[in-house]
Amino acid sequence: MNKKKSKKIPWKKRAIRLILFPVLILMVYGFLFTVMPEKAIAAFKSSGRIFLNIIIPLGFVFILLVVFNLFLNPAHIVKFFGKKSGIKGIMLSSAAGIISMGPVYAWYPLLRELREKGAANSLMAIFINSRAVKPFLLPVMISYFGLRYVIVLTVVTMTGTIVAGYITGVLSRD
Amino acid sequence: MKIAVSAEGPYLESEVGQRFGTSKYFVIVDKETMSFESMPNPGASSASGSGVQAIVLVIGKKVDTVLTGYCSPTAMGHLTKNGIKIVTGVDGNVYEAVAKYKKSELKNITEVGHKPDSWTGENNRTALAGAFKSSVRQFVNLLPTLAGVVLLIGLLNALMSKELLSLVFSGDAVFDTIWGACFGSIFAGNPVNSYVIGGELLEYGVSLFAVTAVIVAWVTVGLVQIPAEISALGRKFAVVRNIVSFFMAIAVAGVTVLVFNFIRW
Repeated sequence: MNKKKSKKIPWKKRAIRLILFPVLILMVYGFLFTVMPEKAIAAFKSSGRIFLNIIIPLGFVFILLVVFNLFLNPAHIVKFFGKKSGIKGIMLSSAAGIISMGPVYAWYPLLRELREKGAANSLMAIFINSRAVKPFLLPVMISYFGLRYVIVLTVVTMTGTIVAGYITGVLSRD
Repeated sequence: MKIAVSAEGPYLESEVGQRFGTSKYFVIVDKETMSFESMPNPGASSASGSGVQAIVLVIGKKVDTVLTGYCSPTAMGHLTKNGIKIVTGVDGNVYEAVAKYKKSELKNITEVGHKPDSWTGENNRTALAGAFKSSVRQFVNLLPTLAGVVLLIGLLNALMSKELLSLVFSGDAVFDTIWGACFGSIFAGNPVNSYVIGGELLEYGVSLFAVTAVIVAWVTVGLVQIPAEISALGRKFAVVRNIVSFFMAIAVAGVTVLVFNFIRW
C-alpha cells in the first residue's frame, strides 16, 4: 500500500547536514576577517553576547527535555487521537500538538494514517499548529520576552490554532 | 487478525528485522488470507524518537500481534497495554515467521496485559537513561543550527545598520506584522531560533507585533515543508492550512500585543 522508500540517512551524512549551516557562516567570518578584521571581531563579540544570554535558559531546556521524554511519548499521543468527538477532540488534538516533540515531518506518517482512518481535517490542522506552543522551550522564550508576554502569547496562540483549525477544516472539505 | 512483522524490506520474502524500533519496514499480514501491506518505519530514518514512532505506527494500524527479533521493555509495555501481543526471538523471512506463528511454533510470547515491572529500581534507571539519551540527541540536533543562527545574527549586528533594517520594518504596525509573518513563513526548523532572532529584532526597535508574527508563523506556516506536507496530507489540505495559518499568525500577533499592552496596568 505504502511503497514510499524508507530514507535511512547514515549518521555521517546527517552530521554533515547539521553542521553545514554553522560552517558556512564561519567561512563568511573567515572571509570577513581578511577584509575587515575589526568588523569580524565585533560580529564575533556580538555572537558571544547572545550565546551568554541563552546559555542558562538552554540548560533549563535540557532539563525539561529529559522530564518530557521521561513522562510523555508518542504512544500517549495516539491515545489522545483515539477519541475525537466535539470539544474533547479539539482539546485532545491541541494537547497532542503541544506535547509532540521533534520536527513536524516526523509526524506526517502518523497524521496520514489518522486521516485515512477518518480523523477530521480541522483536528489535523489544530495538531500541526499547536506545535507552536513548545513547553520545553519556555525558558528561552521567557528570558527573551518575559513571563507575561509568554503567558499571553501561549493563551492567544492556543485559541488561534483552534479557530484556524476549524476554518482549515471547513475550507479543505472535499 | 493482523500481524505486524518488523522487517528489513517491504515483502513477505524480506528478512525479519532484528530490532522492533529500528527495522526498516513493518509488513502487516492478515493471518487468515496472508494478504499483506508494508509500511516504512518512520523511526528507522528519523533522528529522534525511534522506537516510539514504531509503537505509534503499530498501534495506529490496529494489529493484534507483533513478531520481531527484539523489543525493548518500554516498547513492550506500551504495546501490551494497547492490546498487542508480542513475540520476540523471531528470525527467517516474514512469510516463514507468520507460518511458524500460525502453527504455534514460536515460543517467546508476551501476552496482552503484561506489565513491565516499571517500579523496580532497575527499570526506573533504564527509563531515565533512555530519556536522557533521547534528550541529548534532541539537544545535539538543535545546537548546530542555533549556533549558526547566533553567529549569523552577530554578523548582521556588525554589518547591518538600523537604517537598513528599517527599510524592511518601517515602523508601521500593520505592514511590519505582515512582513514578520512572511519572514516567519519562509523559515522553519526549531522555534528556538525564532526566539533568538525575535529577541534581536526587538533590540533593533522592531515592533513586538512584527516579532510575534515571526514567532507564530515560524512554526505554523512552513513554505520549506510544503512539499512534504502535500505528499503526506494532500495538496488541498496543505495549501489551505498554510494560508489560513499565515493569517492566523497575523491575528495572533495583533491580539497578543494588544492584550499584553492592556494588562500592563
